[in-house]
This record gives sequence, C-alpha cells and structure tokens, in this order.
Amino acid sequence: MRQLFSLLLALLSAASLGCAASDYHEQLVLRPLPLSTLLASFNFRSNITLSAFEAHNFDLFPRSLAQILQHAGTRELHLRFSLGRWDAQSWGARPWDGAREGGTGVELWAWLEAQSDEEADQKWRTLTNALSGLFCASLNFIDGTRTTRPVMSFQPEGNHPNVTMDNMHLLYGVLPHEVVCTENLTPFLKLLPCKGKAGVASLLDGHKLFDASWQSMAIDVRPVCPSGGECVLEIEQTIDMVLDIERSKRPRDNPIPRPPPGHELKCESSKSYHSGDTCFPVDYTAGQEWSLNQIFGKSMRETCPLTDPSVPPVCLQVPESRHVYLSHGAVEKKNPDGKSRCFEIEPGTGFELILPRLESDDPARSAAAEIITPETPLLYAERSFTGHGQERGGVQTILRNPSPDTKVEFIYMESLPWFMRIYLHTIEARIEGHSGEQEPLIKEVYYRPAVDRARATQLEVRMRVPPASTVFLTYDFEKSILRYTEYPPDANRGFDVAAAVITILNPEKNGTRYAVYNMRTTSLLCSLPTPDFSMPYNVIIFTSTAIALAFGGMFNILVRRFVAADEGPEIGSTIKEKIGGKLIKLLEKLGKAKAVGKTTVTETKG
Amino acid sequence: MSARRPLNNGATSAKSSPEATIPPTVRPETPSNDAADTTSARKQPPPEKPSDVRRRTYVILSFWLIVLLLGLPIWWETTTIYRANLPLSEMLDWADGKACRPVFPLRISIQANSLHEQEAQNLLRLTQHALDDLNDFSGHHLRLQLSPPAAKEAEKDDAGAALTIRLIPGESTTSTLDPYSPILDITYPPHTIPSATSSSSSLATYVASQLRATFAEEQAIISYLLSSDSMPSDHRPQGLTPEAADSLSKRTTRSLKHAPTYHLTFSLFTSGPLPSSWDIEAAIAEFMKPVLDVLSPIHNFTIDTQVQLYATPGVQNQVLTKEDLSSFINAAEWPLSPSIGGAPTVNFIVFVGNQTILAAPQGSPDETDRTSQSWLIPQWGTVYLLPLPSDTTHVSAEKLKQPLLTFTSHLLSLTGTPQSGSLPLRLSTLARIRSADLLLRASSTLGSLARLALALPSISIPESVADGVSKTMSHLRLACETLGGAEGLGHARIAEAEAERAFFEKSMVGQLYFPDEHKLAVYIPLLGPVGVPLLLGLLNEIKAWRKRRRERAEQQATKKKE
Repeated sequence: MRQLFSLLLALLSAASLGCAASDYHEQLVLRPLPLSTLLASFNFRSNITLSAFEAHNFDLFPRSLAQILQHAGTRELHLRFSLGRWDAQSWGARPWDGAREGGTGVELWAWLEAQSDEEADQKWRTLTNALSGLFCASLNFIDGTRTTRPVMSFQPEGNHPNVTMDNMHLLYGVLPHEVVCTENLTPFLKLLPCKGKAGVASLLDGHKLFDASWQSMAIDVRPVCPSGGECVLEIEQTIDMVLDIERSKRPRDNPIPRPPPGHELKCESSKSYHSGDTCFPVDYTAGQEWSLNQIFGKSMRETCPLTDPSVPPVCLQVPESRHVYLSHGAVEKKNPDGKSRCFEIEPGTGFELILPRLESDDPARSAAAEIITPETPLLYAERSFTGHGQERGGVQTILRNPSPDTKVEFIYMESLPWFMRIYLHTIEARIEGHSGEQEPLIKEVYYRPAVDRARATQLEVRMRVPPASTVFLTYDFEKSILRYTEYPPDANRGFDVAAAVITILNPEKNGTRYAVYNMRTTSLLCSLPTPDFSMPYNVIIFTSTAIALAFGGMFNILVRRFVAADEGPEIGSTIKEKIGGKLIKLLEKLGKAKAVGKTTVTETKG
Repeated sequence: MSARRPLNNGATSAKSSPEATIPPTVRPETPSNDAADTTSARKQPPPEKPSDVRRRTYVILSFWLIVLLLGLPIWWETTTIYRANLPLSEMLDWADGKACRPVFPLRISIQANSLHEQEAQNLLRLTQHALDDLNDFSGHHLRLQLSPPAAKEAEKDDAGAALTIRLIPGESTTSTLDPYSPILDITYPPHTIPSATSSSSSLATYVASQLRATFAEEQAIISYLLSSDSMPSDHRPQGLTPEAADSLSKRTTRSLKHAPTYHLTFSLFTSGPLPSSWDIEAAIAEFMKPVLDVLSPIHNFTIDTQVQLYATPGVQNQVLTKEDLSSFINAAEWPLSPSIGGAPTVNFIVFVGNQTILAAPQGSPDETDRTSQSWLIPQWGTVYLLPLPSDTTHVSAEKLKQPLLTFTSHLLSLTGTPQSGSLPLRLSTLARIRSADLLLRASSTLGSLARLALALPSISIPESVADGVSKTMSHLRLACETLGGAEGLGHARIAEAEAERAFFEKSMVGQLYFPDEHKLAVYIPLLGPVGVPLLLGLLNEIKAWRKRRRERAEQQATKKKE
C-alpha cells in the first residue's frame, strides 16, 4: 500500500493534467445509401494515461471496464455485438473498412499477458465471466469449445512497448447464437463519459438501433504510444447501423405497417397506364428525405462539453449540390472533396438536421445527385452449406474479386464447433470457369483440429483471388452425434456456426497496417440429427417391458406346475361366477390363511 | 400349486407340460354332459414328486438370493448419495458456544521505575484485587504484571502487553493516555504508595478504575457480541443497559464484514457536465493516508477513483429528508459495481450539488454521525454533498479536505473501530473485537452447515466440505486458545474463510433437487412386472410349505393314534 501511495505522489503532477477535454472525441457520420437506407456511424474515443490507469485513477475512463482489464491482465480488447447482414451488393464497402464490425452475435478477442497457455486460459475465463456480467451478454459461455488462438488473422492494433510478444496471448471467442438487444446497449452507453445524456450519443435508442437492417456495436481498448508522448490507453466505442428510412419513419405509437392511402402512393407518372386507380410504384431509391428526429425518434441534445471543440460532432456524406436545413446555432462546413460536409454546433444548443427531397426533373441524373455512389468493396464473399442428409455436409464460400486489375490476398478464418468434423483433404479452391493448370490459389493453411467436447476446429487459409474472377472455396465435413444433454432446448432449430473472418492483407508488405479490409460472412445454421427427447423414458419403459415379459415367462415356467384342464381348480365360466368365486376366496383369506391351489377345488365350490 | 385354467372343457387345449402326466383315458368330457360334470367332484391331479417340490423351492430361493445379494447392493451402490462424515455434534457445540469459552486475557504491564520491587509488587497485588472486584464479566480479563524497571519499554513490552502503565511520582493523582502509543501515564503523590501490610490503597483503586474506564468500551462491545450470539447464558455479562446494547447493535450492523483487504472507491458524481476533474490523489495522500497507514497492520486498502458526469440522483428534492437518503443513490444508473476480486468495496461518493439534508432531530442517538453535508450508509460507504459554483471545472484538493476528513472518520466506523481511547488502543481493541466476531461467525456458519446436513438427508456432502469443516474446527480451536493476540485474529480469519467455503460448496446445490416422481417413473416399469411374479411365487411357496408341514404333522398324529 505504501508503494501505491508513493506512486500516487509521484504521479501527482502528471495526473493533475487529468482528463483534459481534448482527450475525448465523438462523431456521428451519416451516409445515405441506396435503396432508401442510411448508414449512421457513431464513434466515441477517450484516453487515459497508462500511469493513471495503473494507479487506479480512472477519472472519466469507465471504472467497471478498467477493473476487468486489470484483473484479467488484458492488454488489448476487442468486443463486438452485431446483428443483421451487410448487403455489400447494394451498400458497397463497409464502414471503417470493416475493422469495427463482427459476425452475427458476439465476438471477443483479446491479447492477454500471461507466462503460459494455462495462465492465459485462466485469465480468459476471468475476462469472459466479468464481461458477461458487465454487458449482460452470455459471454461466460465462451468456453474452451468456442475459443481459438488465431495465428494469422489478427494483429495487435495498439503499441505494446513494455511487453514481449511471447507473453502476449491472443484468444478469440465467438457466440453466433447470441441475440444482441437493448440490455447490451445500456451498459455500452454507461461507459461513455457523457452517458447517453448529451452529445451524439443522445440519439441512440434501443428501439431504433435494434430495428436496423444491420448494426454493429464495437468496443476496442488498446494502448497507444504517440511518438514522444506518454503512452495512453485508448477506448474506442463504435456503433454502426443501417437504418431503413421508411421503416424508421413509422410513428412510434403506431408501428404496425399499413398500406399507405392512395394519395400518398408514389407513382411512376410516365407510364402510359398511369391514372387515378392504377399506379406503378417508382423506384424507391428516389427521393430520400428525412430528419434526425424522424429516423432516430428524437433530436440531438446539447453537445458533450468534454469533446474536442475542433472535431465537428456531426458529418453528413451527400453530394455537395444537396441542400440541408439546420437548426439554429449550427454551422455547415463543406469539405473540399465535395463529398461530405460537417456541422459545428454551438455549445449548449440542441441540433436538428433536415435533408429535403431532391427535386429534379431528370430521373437518370437524380440518382447520382442524390447520394454518393458507394465504393466497391475489395471482395465479395458469401458462404453457404451444400450437401444433404444428416450425416455429411459441405461448406462453400464464393469469393468474388470485382477489381479488373488487382489481385486480392487475404486470410480466411473459420472457427467451427467441434461437432462439425471437417475433412481437410477435401478443401479445394477453384476459379469459376477455369479448368486445367493454374497457379495454386491457396498459399498456406493453418489447421488445428477439434477435440471432441474440448476444443473448436480452427482453420486459417491464406489465399488469393485473381483480378475479376470468382473463386469457390469448398470443403466437406461430417456431423457428429451429440449426447443427450448436449442439445440446447431448441435443438431442432439447428446450431449456429460462426461467421468466417476474412482479413484482406495489405499488398505493401512494409505498410503500417496489417490488414486493409476486414469482412465477415454470414453465420450458418447447421442442423444435426436430433433425437426424440422423450427417449430415455421410452427406453426405460420398453426395456422394462421386454425384461418383464421374458422374466415373467421364464419364472412361471420354472415354478408352476402344469396339470390337465380337468385336474385344476374350478373357476366359474361366467363373469358373475368368477367374481363370486374371487370374493369368496378373498373372504376366506381374510378369515384364515388357507392355501390355494390344487386342494381348494371343493372349497371354492362351497 | 397348479396352473389354474378355465375349465371350459373342450376349448382348453391342455398343453401338456412335462410334469402334467395325463393318462389318455381322462380326456375332457363331451359338452353334452358338461353340467353334470361340474357338479361332480373333480379329478385330482396326481401327487407331485418330492423332487419337483424341492426343485421349485430351490428355484424360488435362488431367485430371491440373487435379488437380495446382488441386486440390492448394486442398486444401493449406484444410487446412493455421497455424504461425507461431518462431526455434527461438535459443529453444533461450536454454534452453541459450548466448545469455546471466549476469554480475552489482557496483559497490562506496570512500569514503576521509582518504586522498590517490594512496593511495586504490593501495589500490583492490590490493584489486581481491585480490578477483580470491579469486573463482572469473565470473558474479558485484565491481568497485571510488573515490567523490569530497566527494560526498554518500546521493544519488550509492546509485544505482549496491551497497555503499559507508567507510574511517575508527582504532586497529585492524574492520568493521561499517550495519544500515539499504548501507554497510560499515572502520576501519584509519594504518600499514596501502599505499605506492605495495608489491604487497600487509594492509588490501587484509582489505577484499577482508570484501567476499567479505558477498556470499558471494548468490554461492552465484546460482551454485546457474545450476548447477541447464541452463547449460553452463564457467559453473558450482566449490566448491559438496553440503551447501550441498542447503540452497540447499531454500530455493529453498520460495520462491514471483516476482510483482510478493503477496496476504497472514491467517486465524483455530478448531475451535469461539470466539474469533470478533481485532485483526488493529492487529497487522499494528504488527508486520508495517515489513517490508512495506521490501519495497515489490520487491513490492507486498495484505492480507485472515478468521475461520473450526468448522474442524476434517485431523489431530486432540494431538501433531503431522512427517507430520501436511502433512495438518493441511483443504483440502476450509477456505475458503483463492487470491485472484482474478493475484497469488499467501500464507496465514498462526493456528489456535487447544493442539496441540503434536513438536520436530524435533537437528541437522536446518531446525531453525532450526521452533519448537514454527509451521511453514512451502513456496510456500504458514505455520500458527501459538496456545493460548488456551477462553473467549476476542476475540484481542488483544498475543497476535498472536508469530504475526505468525513470519509476518514466514517471509514473508521465502517471498519468497526471503537470510538474512545487513543488511536493505538482503539486499533488493538479492533483486532480483538474482530477476532471475537470472526470466531462467532465461523461457529455459527458451522452450526448452519450442521443443521442443513441434518435437515436435508438427500443433499450430497462432498469430501471438500468435510475437509473445510475439519480445517475450520482446528483453526477455531487454535483461535480460541490464542484469543486476544495477533495469532488469534489470523486463525479466526482462516476459520471464517474455510467455514464460508464449506457452506457455499457448489456441488452441494447441484443435486439438491431430484424429485421423487422421477425415481418412481424409472423404477415402476421394471419393478412392477418383475417384482409381482417374484413376490407371488414366494408367497405361494411359503403357503405350500406351511401346508406340507401341517400335513406332515397330521400324518404323524394319525400314525401316533394308530
């Protein structure tokens, strides 16, 4: 404790700088996308000096998270909560080049400092359990069977000057079945210094966020050492969501979709049959109009006073020609590239933004003038199951490189549950339409086979896709049969298989960034043979009956004496006599115990 | 015994078993004389061979032997619940306080450098007499000893003695308690020294009463602890007034559960965006660290600090009444989660706001603990309302002085430190109170475990629980022997931790619920169809055997007659 205090004293001068206002940064970028959707990217970033962090003076850094990080020896942490599917065909490249998104469900990877693998596992368990409590998610279910140690796919984002890389253990866990919901957003907002009460975070609301077509919440904690400056621990929180504008504009008190009345229908008036009672709906990309209040359900409150005043809190990416109406106190600043504009907001005032419909006579021109055409991603990927039956199956991933002249080199990582036993020899990559000799597409394979009930399969493939071509990556697998207790309550739904992680490598080998683009495929639903769950009782009753039958027959043969029909005791032939005879017998038995059997023939008559 | 068949004459195809030797002449009659046949006496089957009867007996016996000797043990072995042996009666003895009589022998050394050996011995004897007369509580015992006059008091005496009395000749009889070390200075006029023969002395009485006053609070607390627990009544001290007991109970419920380490969390909450930084490190180092250093032999402390903006309290009133105070902490929104790791968390909250607290009515018992600025939440921490100008962005260490001094005094009462006496005395008293407390807690946990084991016969008790219980008991025994010393506290601490671990063993809860309906559903389908033939076979065999015996007896009787 004394050491702690001497440290405290030593740090007094440094810490008095404390959490200066410029340490916090928040920004909302709005980008209208085709098909009447809108991408909203929230980004919050705050810092704490490593020395203050180690002295437990957390100031505005979330204490609950900081304690977990310290307790579990975590050097770098990445946590993702995602929902939905990014439609790359129409929405183009992903925000942040895919670096801030995860596969459906929850994804967690972290670099832990530990001397041995066992210690790392121990710390990982601590970390997942503690985060599970903090974020109200089932992260504690990330056990050995869902944890892998990726070799090629991930690189630390932060600077780790004081730690040798040998002691840094990367662990990666994923829960594809987890349903992300409001209870995960609330703790997420609590980590922000201004909570959800001020700044762009005041727009966030569980109803809208989890109603989005695609959303991803990310938390990244990494140490950053600026050249010449003191090392800081940076926490970056990101929320990206793609909102369906029409859907978001539905009034909250009347959320049930109903057909719009006739006069509100948007009709293509150029059609020859257009009249009062016939309508050909116009392409619904035309005419995006919205306001912040409509799509988020509320306007933005005053800016968070901690933010760096030089960073404009809200930016909008629309062509320069479009007009935007702003609330009082906001100033529009157009960027020189002509693609985006930002808004500076006077402290203490709220903010509202209205993007009116673009009135244009020429429908062909309006599409380009209305929104910025999305960038083409470096790679398209889709993954699906092939095959049929309950015993075997296959996985096929279609990877398409849209670029006409550059090849794409990437790492494809699968973290499969142990009950999908893959046949590694069947892994094959082929170019569509090509046959015959070609340069091998797969450069390197890292494979760690599963151990039943203990470890997941880990498959990392470094491969390339030539320009303007489509590659099919396929492999087969066998479905294993689970034990009775290993099935979840909804066993017939199937088992979620986590998304494949695709990390596109930087073509410049000496570049600062390891990956230029990240993406996830969708997760899969693998159906395994499910037993009839009343089976144990059926089996008990069936075997018992069989045993009883066999035993009863055998026992009776062994112990009974067989006599001729007329030698045995007489029993009444009608039901009445039978019952009467039994009653008398019973009475006799009650009266005095008398042996029944061959001697009682005359007595039964009496 | 015979297979009973419906005598429906021709319809019955008499399946001839090897035993049924039916002569061809005795075939069933034709249906026409059926009625006449039934009324007539039926044919008797031929008598059974004795070897057949014996064989049937053997068959039935061997089946039953297999069931009893093989089936039952296997069933018992596979379905029995493991229950480790617990020394239940001993455990209950601990819980009832029969196993240990908590006695706190306190050694008090007297330094009388100016007195002769003989005089000093005499004074000591008289003082001890006076003390014994005053004391009515056997658990708390003050024993005097004379320290060698030339001894270096610092090293030798502090080790064993709870208090050192320095007798210094002076003009009048006064006593002063050294504020920094456990030393009581008593001055005395030289003429008050008792002569070797006198049986009473005013100085001795004075010393005794001073000692008693010094340890009065400790004695009261310990006797309260013992009396509130299920100690037998002969141990119970008399003369604890209800008011004193009431205030003691308040104090004990307020104090945190004992732990070797406490985690202190200092939080600055504001309802708006400002202030966003504070000089907490400097303030802690200046105002709180001295006390923490003093407490360090008993407790370790870890500290963290945080600033939380936009924190709305649970009560928005300008003037807070006593009822409001309990709901002021907005537990749902304020991030005050306990720290991870085993250490209990003490929360110290500075809330920037100009609310005021409605002063407690005059004369209420806990008036001293409540200023108009802060209040203490039992076993949890303290809230301090700090009014600041609304444009303050940074809270300086100077402004934190008052809050931190309040926190420090509240920390002492949260750890259960007694209120009177000098600080070193208070701390040594704290150690003794804590060991008594832990001892009682561990004993009562043992008692609960024993009662649980008795009340739930179907609960499994794994070996680790028995292990924990035996460890607890051995440490309890050691603690009981060394009560009052540092060792005793250590043993009591281990005993308490082990007892808790044994009581909250996870695997005990797992098998708690296995309903009897399930057992029925599993056993009935098998035991019904198998058990009924076995049982009937046995009954019939017994009947047949008795019948045979009777017949034999009758035969013998007729033979005798003949």
